[in-house]
This record gives sequence, structure tokens and C-alpha cells, in this order.
Amino acid sequence: MPLLTIATFLPILAGLALMALPDRSTRTAHAVSIAATGAVFLITLVIWARGIVAGDFAQVEEIAWIPAIGAAYRLGVDGLSLPLVLLTSLLFLLSALYSARVGERAASYVVLMLMLETASLGTFMALDGLLFYVFFEVSLVGMYFMIAGWGYEERQRAALMFFLYTLLGSLPLLLAIIGLYLGSGTFDMRVWVEGTTLGGLPATLALIAMLVTFAVKIPAFPVHTWLPAAHVQAPTAGSVILAGVMLKFGTYGLVRFAYQMTPEAFAQAGQVILAFGVVSALYGAFAALAQSDLKKMIAYTSVNHMGYVVMGVAIAALAAEPRIRTIALDGAALQMVSHGLVTGALFFLVGMLQDRAHTRRIGDFGGLLGRVPWLGWAFILSAFASLGLPGLAHFPAEFQIFLATLNGMPWGLIAILAIVVTAALYLRAIAGVFLGEMNDKWAEMSDLDQREKTVIVPLLILTVLVGVAPSWLIDMIHTTMTGLDN
Amino acid sequence: MEMGRDLALLAPELTLAAAAMLMIVAEMFRAARLVLAIGLAGLAAATILTLPMLSVDATVFGGTYRIDLISGWAKLILLPGTALSLLLVRAEIAGRPREGSVQSLVVLVTLGALMLSGAGDMMVVVIGVVLTGLGSFALVAWPRDDAATEAAMKYLVFGAVTGSVMIYGLTFWFGGTGSTLFSGLGQLQGQTLVTIAGLIAIIVGLGYKGSLVPFHFWAPDAYQGAPVSIAAYLSVITKAAAFFAFAQVLRDLPRDGGWPLALAVIAAATMTYGYLAALVQTNLVRLIAYSSVAQSGYFLMGVVALGASGFAVPGILVFAAAYVAMNLGAFAVVLLAGRDLDDLEGFGRTHPWLGAAMVVFLLSLTGIPPLFGFVGKFYLLSAAVEAGFLWLAIIGILNSVLALGVYLRLVVPMYRELRPGGTQGRGNPLTLAVVLVVLVATLFMGLTAGLLPGP
Repeated sequence: MPLLTIATFLPILAGLALMALPDRSTRTAHAVSIAATGAVFLITLVIWARGIVAGDFAQVEEIAWIPAIGAAYRLGVDGLSLPLVLLTSLLFLLSALYSARVGERAASYVVLMLMLETASLGTFMALDGLLFYVFFEVSLVGMYFMIAGWGYEERQRAALMFFLYTLLGSLPLLLAIIGLYLGSGTFDMRVWVEGTTLGGLPATLALIAMLVTFAVKIPAFPVHTWLPAAHVQAPTAGSVILAGVMLKFGTYGLVRFAYQMTPEAFAQAGQVILAFGVVSALYGAFAALAQSDLKKMIAYTSVNHMGYVVMGVAIAALAAEPRIRTIALDGAALQMVSHGLVTGALFFLVGMLQDRAHTRRIGDFGGLLGRVPWLGWAFILSAFASLGLPGLAHFPAEFQIFLATLNGMPWGLIAILAIVVTAALYLRAIAGVFLGEMNDKWAEMSDLDQREKTVIVPLLILTVLVGVAPSWLIDMIHTTMTGLDN
Repeated sequence: MEMGRDLALLAPELTLAAAAMLMIVAEMFRAARLVLAIGLAGLAAATILTLPMLSVDATVFGGTYRIDLISGWAKLILLPGTALSLLLVRAEIAGRPREGSVQSLVVLVTLGALMLSGAGDMMVVVIGVVLTGLGSFALVAWPRDDAATEAAMKYLVFGAVTGSVMIYGLTFWFGGTGSTLFSGLGQLQGQTLVTIAGLIAIIVGLGYKGSLVPFHFWAPDAYQGAPVSIAAYLSVITKAAAFFAFAQVLRDLPRDGGWPLALAVIAAATMTYGYLAALVQTNLVRLIAYSSVAQSGYFLMGVVALGASGFAVPGILVFAAAYVAMNLGAFAVVLLAGRDLDDLEGFGRTHPWLGAAMVVFLLSLTGIPPLFGFVGKFYLLSAAVEAGFLWLAIIGILNSVLALGVYLRLVVPMYRELRPGGTQGRGNPLTLAVVLVVLVATLFMGLTAGLLPGP
């Protein structure tokens, strides 16, 4: 059974079916959405159960597309993409559950969400350069309409900024893809990842083009400015998908394209890339510290966490020892998944808070923990995870990245300062919102209902599970990463 | 014997010419429906007659006219494009005086466009330019109001001057090679001055047809003065034909004359200027007119790479097919929505399907995958990179962002809250049918690009 293809296209087909239905009421739309994303989640679990192989892509599905130029429909998974595929299908399912209260033009909303899921899964599983680019760009279009149609007050401007910024960012990738194609005569990414397609100046140019694209998407300092604007204006589920899934396009591309396809050029530029990672991590933390808007604060911590991923990949390229390289890559890949779980949960929780209070300013709250214990403790747990507390999801990832940094490029360890800053800002937010004097305005606030608990609890369980016993995830990642010794 | 073979190879062109004559006869009896029926039948017959000839690579009448990959696919693109334009014309001006004349002129202009696409000889190019030109002037002038008359006059003067320059310049190539055939242009190797003189002539003459900067000034005025359907027709058919003619002429010219660089500069200027000018338009027709100017720059990327990349000719053909579909679609929606940017306010909410179709056309014009326009642009960019013009590809890519800015100026108001009392009717069924056809092409031809010519 071509499960990868089914998982990728089931959402969009369900969306088209919904458009064709005579009854496009809010209820039907959300029922279709939950059923489709639920089915996709189960299918991805089966894909997981089927397993991956070391040193190659597994479960490859291939059909000719434009034979004249060597482009084909090719999907497959490995230890880098499969965890992200699972994360994607989980976050879309939870977003569908959370969004069940969206009443405004629900059918269009659901169709866009389903289109985004197809684009996201396709981006992670594509093994054809042209196909990857197609999915990558379709996700942009979907997110633009999501923000422009269902966001908050300033949504038109934020959506436009997001679209122009990331399109400008993604176009250099097209040049790199053309270069790789002209160098190899095929769009097969399995050929490209051998890393011998381009050398010398062409490889450097292609690397620069890819770095521009993925730096915007990650987003790394100084091209991160679209992120806070987009997050603040996006609807809650949009923020979750944007942070949890779409930022990973950047880090996934950094490993899959930049690191694997132009390895020598990447190693030469390793110090510069590492510096960008360190600066992003520090800048993201300090910028988050300066925010009074909860959502903007979490958005900036994404810049911080993604900075660690960039550091990990750069260390892997610079490291002389294969052992250090593998530790760095394992940490970077795990960090992608941890960030999806933790930041996804945080954006959901802020959304739930905003649904009740219609404000996100830290100063407007106070002492909510007694009033809404579920919401409060869930936020506190996720915040502790986000600041890297041992036993929670970010710790094993960041530990490995810093361990590799210590062994490879010790100067990079100044990024540890960011952890202190992150701790400070989360403690400040917890104190401001959930502890202290209670604001009487919120005396009637209700705690999480059944649906909201269903959305948040799986993420909390996984956060703890990845923190306490990460081996089930790391083993999968490790299977592939030990092979990336180019 | 030889004559019989030549005529058989020309069957599509002859069919179309016969249909045009019959249309004029029917128009004498003021039978507008019959004119349309003959036109559509002629176009359909000519398209079908083209199909078995796609793999032919021959010349007729002593090498002056080429039956090859370019002219074959040109027919497959231009003939259905013309048929769709005829339907738009019918939808817009049905029942108005001289409707049949407009229809006949459209088919005659397409005949000229076919001559351009198959030209193997300087004289055929001249005939093609004149035939398309004369018909187009009359089409633009059809509404007989001040705007149309002024636009047609500009168009005519521009056409007369550029046409004369072209004929004058072509005499240099004739002098240099002793023949009017393009296949003899290889002999110009080393005669730089002669090459440049003839080249300037071709760039002026065809550049005017293809609305390249700086020969584009007529286009926005002409499109604005003409009926929307005629603007749609001129913006796709005569423009595509100009680039097919470029491909026919320049593929035989030695590349060492420096012409690829000159054309690359013009290409960069055309796309940048076109989009910058489009950014400040408030009239929808003018906006799309300037965006069409910019698209000419992308076409020219393929011309720049002629002889240096296997992507050049397929790029021009695939992009032409995509461009015909998406630009006709955008104009058809304008025909339904209205000529002003304000007319789009809330259009996507009152007409969800048409709004979605417009978004698809505009995203395809931007070059967003997997739409048809992306495949065309991808081939053209690959051609430029392979021919050593990486900087031109980069400019082309940067301009895609400018393009997005231009097209989002249409998308954003479409999904704003509706103005009170702003609802419109359902629209003419013929126009809706045209939108549906080009929408299907724009959506799915990108996925089936394997059927189209490739490198």
C-alpha cells in the first residue's frame, strides 16, 4: 500500500470532498476535518511501525512525472523526516480538535487547514527537488490565506509581510534546485544527498541560496522579523502550525539540502553558520524578555530554540570526530520535535487564555492559578519544558547540542547564556499571569473544558515522555544520523 | 508533386484562411452567429489537422516557411487560444454593430500570427507583422469612441515606424548573406556590423509586437481603449507569436555577435519596468497590460538562451501555453467583474468560485508551483542559467516578488468585506465557460507537463 501517498493526499481530497458537499455547515466541516486528520495520524503511525532503514530512504514510492527532465513523483522517509511527519500529523489532528469552535466560514477554514497538512507532509516526504519546491510553496499560499482570513486586527498587513518575506526567501532555493539539476541531470534528491553533485564555486553559490531560503524560514537572525508579526496576527491553530510544523521546513531543509547536498561548502562556512545560530539563540531570548504580549514572547523563544538547531547542524559540519557529529545531529533533529510539542502546547494555551480574556498582555492578568488550575499547571509545565528543565522535552536535545559544542567549538557555549534569560522570562510570565494578586476582572474565568483538555494533554504527556525516556525517538533519528558522515 | 506536398503540409493554415474568407462573406449578410460558427469550426479543423504534423520537421516553398516543433506547437497554442477569444468577444459585444467583422478580423490576425510562428524567411516575417498589425489596429479602433480612436492611432503610428525600421534593417542581412532565408544567417559569422544592423531591425519590429521595453508604450493604451476581450486576445496571441518569430529568426544567428547579452539587458529591463509600472495602476486593464509587458521579459529569457540551452525552445513553448491560459483567464474575470480595481472589492465573497479562479490565474502568473505558469518559468529560468546568464535568472526570480506585490493588489480587495449594494449578476455563460477551460488548463497542465515539449 502506498501509505505515504495516501497520508499526503488524504487531507486535500477530504477538503475537496467537503467543497463538493451540499451541506457545508460548520458542524460537517469540523467533522470532516477531525475525521481526515485523525485518519492521517493513524496512517502515519503505521508508517512509523513499518520502520526505516539505516543509510537510505525507506518506503519509497515513485512514479514518472516529467521524464524529459528527470523529474518524478518520489516520496520516502528516513530518521530525519519520519519524526517530523509524526509531529505534523499529531499537531494537525490537535489543531482540528481545537478549531472545532471556529464558526466564521468554517468550510473554507477547514479546506485551508487540510491543504496545509498535505503541503507539510509532502514537504517532509518529497524525494524529488521539484516536488519538494511545489509543496514548500503551496504551504506558503495556504498560510497566507489562513492569516489574512482568520487572524486578528492587523491581519492583512501581517499576512502580506509573511507572504512577501517568505516568497522572497524561498526563490533563491529555486536557483539552487536549478543548479543541482543542471549539475546532475535529475531531480532525484537521493542522488543530490550524496553530496557530489556540485563542487567549488557552484556549490558555494548554491549553499548561499539555500541558506538564505532556510534562514528566512527557520527564522534566524536577522531575517526573523516576519515571525512575530505573523504569529501575533495568526489564529491560534495557525500559530501552532506555523511554529510547530512550518518552521521545521527551514531546519529540515538546512540538514537535508544545505548540509547533505553541499557538504564541503557547508563545512567551509561552518563558523559563519555557527555564529548565526549563536546570535539567533541569544537574540531570540533577549527579544522575548522584552515582550509584554504572551504570544509575541513565545514567538521570540522560537527564534531562540531554532538557533540551537542551527548551532547543532553547524557543529556537525565542523566536527572532526564522527561521534561528535552524530551527537550534534541527533540533538538538532530531536530539538525540532521537542520544539513542535512544547511550543505547540504553549500557543494552544495562550489561545485558550485569549479566548477567555480577549487579551494577551501579561500585565492584565494575575493570580489565575487558583481560578484555572488546569490551564495554569499546563502552562507552567510547558514553560519549564521550554526553558530546558531536565526531565522535559527540550533537555535531551539541548544537552546533546551543547555537549557537541563543547567538544567541537567551545566558544559557541556563550549561547548557554540564553537559557538563563529564557528561564527568567518564563518565570516572570508565570509570576505575572498565574501567581500573585488575582485581578477581579477574571473571577468568572472557567477552566479548560473537555475538548481543550483533549487537545493539551497528549502534548504534555509527550513532553514528559521525550524528556524522561527519549530513546524511542532518538533511536529512530540516530539510525539515519550515524550514516551522515560526509 | 513538390507543390502538392507543400500544400498538404500547409493544410492548417489554408483551412484557417478559407474560414476567414467565409467569415467575411457571412458578415456581408450580417449573420453574426454564422460568422462565429465558421470561425470556431475553422479553428477546430485547423487544430486537428495540426496534430499529425507535430513530429514533422520540414520547410515549404523553398525554405521560406517552416513546419517544425515551434510552428506545430504554436498552432496548438494559438488556435485554441483564438477560439476562446472568439467566445469572449461574443460574450462582450453580442448584438452590437459589426460584431462579425470583429470576429473575422480576429481570425485573420491569428493567420498572421501563424505566419510569424513559422517564418523561415525575412519576407514572411514582414508579411506576418503587417497582417497581424493591420487587423489589430482595426480591432482596437472598433468601439469608435475617443479613447479607442486615440489608442488605435498610437498603435498604428508605432506599428508603421517600427515596421519601416525593421524592413530597412533586414536589408542589411539580405546584403550580407545574399538571401532572405534565415537558414543562411550562419554566413554572417564575422560580419559584426551587418549582424547588429539586422538584429536591431528584428528587435524593433518584433519587440514592438511583443511589447518589450522600450517599445511597449502602445500596449496599455491599446488594451484600455479596446474592448476587454480584444485586449485579452491581443495580449496573448500576437505577443506569443512575436516570441515564436524571435525563436525562428535567432536560432540560426551565430551567438558570438553579442546579441544574447543585448537581449538579456532588454529582458531584465522589461520585467522590472513592467511590474514597477503595474504596481501603481488603478485601472485593472492597464494593470494587467503592464503585467503582460513584464511577462514578455520572461519570454525573452528563453530567446536569450537560444542555441545555448536545450530548455530554450521548450521553455518558450510551455510558457506561451501557460501564458495564453492564465492571461486569458485573468482578462475573462475582468470582463465579468469590471474594469476598475474598485470593482473587485468583495468580488471573492460574492463569487467564491470565480474569485478562487482569479487567485489561481494570478498565482500562476506569479509562478507559484504546481500551477502551469511555474513550469513555464522554471524552464525559462533553467534555460537562462544553462546559457550562462545566472544574473538574468536572479533578476527574473527577484521580479517574481514584485509580481506577487502586483497581483496581491487584486487578491486582497477581493476578500474584503463587501460594499453595500455591490453584488453583481451571475455573468455571461460563455465567459464562465472560457474561465472554466483555462482554469482546468492552469491547474492541471503543470502536473501533466510531461506531455509538452521538453529538452
